[in-house]
Amino acid sequence: MLWRLAIRNIWRNRRRTLLTLSAMVVSSALLILCLGIFSGMLKDMLASATEQYFGHLEISTKGYQEDRDMFANFSVSDDFLLLLQPQVLGFSPRLRSFGLLSGQDKSSPVELLGVEPERERQVTSLQDHLQAGSYLLADDHEGALIGAGLARRLAVKPGDQLVFVTQAADGSIGNDLLTVRGVFATGDQGHDNGLVLVALPWLQQLLVLPGRLHEIAVRIEHPLQAAAFAAQLRQKLPTTLEVLDWGELLPEMREVVASYDVSRLIIVSILYVATGLGILNTFFMSVMERTREFGVLMAVGMRPGQVRLMVLLETLAMGLLALLIGVVFGVLLSLYMAYVGIDLSGSLTPITYAGGTILPRLHAVLEVTNVLVPAAVLLLVCLLAGFLPANRAARMQPVVAIREE
Amino acid sequence: MSLIELKSVSKIYPLGNQQVVAVANLSLKIKAGEFTVLAGPSGSGKTTLLNLIGCLDQPSEGEVWLDGHNVGKEEAKQLAKLRLNKIGFIFQSYNLIPVLTAAENAEFTLMLLGIDKVKRRQRIVELFAELGLQGLEDRNPSDLSGGQQQRVAIARAMAAQPAVILADEPTASLDLQTSEDLLALMQRLNETQGVTFVFSSHDPLVISHARRVVSLRDGCLESDR
Repeated sequence: MLWRLAIRNIWRNRRRTLLTLSAMVVSSALLILCLGIFSGMLKDMLASATEQYFGHLEISTKGYQEDRDMFANFSVSDDFLLLLQPQVLGFSPRLRSFGLLSGQDKSSPVELLGVEPERERQVTSLQDHLQAGSYLLADDHEGALIGAGLARRLAVKPGDQLVFVTQAADGSIGNDLLTVRGVFATGDQGHDNGLVLVALPWLQQLLVLPGRLHEIAVRIEHPLQAAAFAAQLRQKLPTTLEVLDWGELLPEMREVVASYDVSRLIIVSILYVATGLGILNTFFMSVMERTREFGVLMAVGMRPGQVRLMVLLETLAMGLLALLIGVVFGVLLSLYMAYVGIDLSGSLTPITYAGGTILPRLHAVLEVTNVLVPAAVLLLVCLLAGFLPANRAARMQPVVAIREE
Repeated sequence: MSLIELKSVSKIYPLGNQQVVAVANLSLKIKAGEFTVLAGPSGSGKTTLLNLIGCLDQPSEGEVWLDGHNVGKEEAKQLAKLRLNKIGFIFQSYNLIPVLTAAENAEFTLMLLGIDKVKRRQRIVELFAELGLQGLEDRNPSDLSGGQQQRVAIARAMAAQPAVILADEPTASLDLQTSEDLLALMQRLNETQGVTFVFSSHDPLVISHARRVVSLRDGCLESDR
């Protein structure tokens, strides 16, 4: 009965109800979209920071990630690699070297990563950022994949030859020829200007470090659970090795992720405080207009608690309706932004921040929490905004209320 | 035993720095089955007295007893329960709930009492037949004439078979003929079903139908005949 009364009451003043509903629908839909875009940016940044270089975890000898000492290398058995397999999406054994890379008549300092191409593409996504040429093939011994900035600086293109010079582990000067197979452009200036991927055996041979590795980059299904997975992995590994998750490798990025929740809270608060005030106003007016009616309802035997509940049900009914429409609109907008998005590359360039790259595009990621949070908060706001007028209605003296005109 | 008993009841309202005595030291007994009018000019205290009997207000002094309950001692929740179980109200301006149909208005107290739908509908069919409201069940109050609305209000007041029906100036908004019809109807309900009616009115027509007239002046009992 109270539900029936509540639902009919909210349609008594259609125009006012529709205006309030519109505000609630727009705020919840925009909030869902906004959080989706935030998630999209965060995912892009995290992906650029992890899936273009580090992976989600790095296994290396203790201290290697701090000083990148060539001699801090290790070797692993196939059994060890099997240990990782059921739990990760991919892992890539790597050897790293720093040296001078020369093209036609120009040279540049670079970082070389020796990788097994098929394993590396399970961890990083450079194959998705190819600007020219192709990715390294498994049996390609002398191929090189270089950043677009570096290719420009050295004036080379796929098919051109390069010379790499560095110090080998035995003290000798290692140098050898490479052939450019492909050029990648990630938007991250650091990688695009100085990173080169080569075949792992080629680099092991050049550095005189046969069978040795500097790190194993790991990609897991849920990047935000990397710290927990790293802790598990540490238990299984020899004590000479360490496991660092992306949060330890990129502490600034971890701060960005942490600040995301705060930002989300601020946005939700601002939007919903405004919406809440609108609802409060609507229901106060509605209660004031019906003072006499509340008096009659109480005169014929309705208890104050039932009156309070009736008004709260009105706000809740309105909230549920707004929520339904708002979620549909919000999800549709988010889906559009997820599959189509808005390309801003004409007016913006990628921004590298905290080790990640903010790409010049607006796109959304549809996550359950981005729908649930606005939905739950909208209902809470409705109930909070409805409570004051509901309480006022319940505290009316029937004899006074009935006299109201 | 009296259904309603007022023992030296006074009701004093503050008005700015002054105090207005609406009812002064009034004692009165009303038995079940009576058809009583509280008569008197405007400001004589009849509506205040009706509100006190109807548990809508509490006395400043004295005691109001309704069917064995001391109204002045009860909490708001208990008063609501008393009103629901013991009292039916008929107001001058009908005061039907605009978002409910005629039948829903009439069965409202039955819904509050938690009576199931079948029994409610049965009761409403009986009442609407008795009050000449057949065919108007699904009409909204705004689609009914004043007389029809007041009949629905009577149906609402009678639905839960209360101990007493209190009617505050029930004919004040109606034309003469409709007023005659309604008074005849209430008189018939009183005589055939034993429903206790207490009116407040200064309308000579209402007073002429009453079997007992309690006259008030300046909050005091002037006559009781």
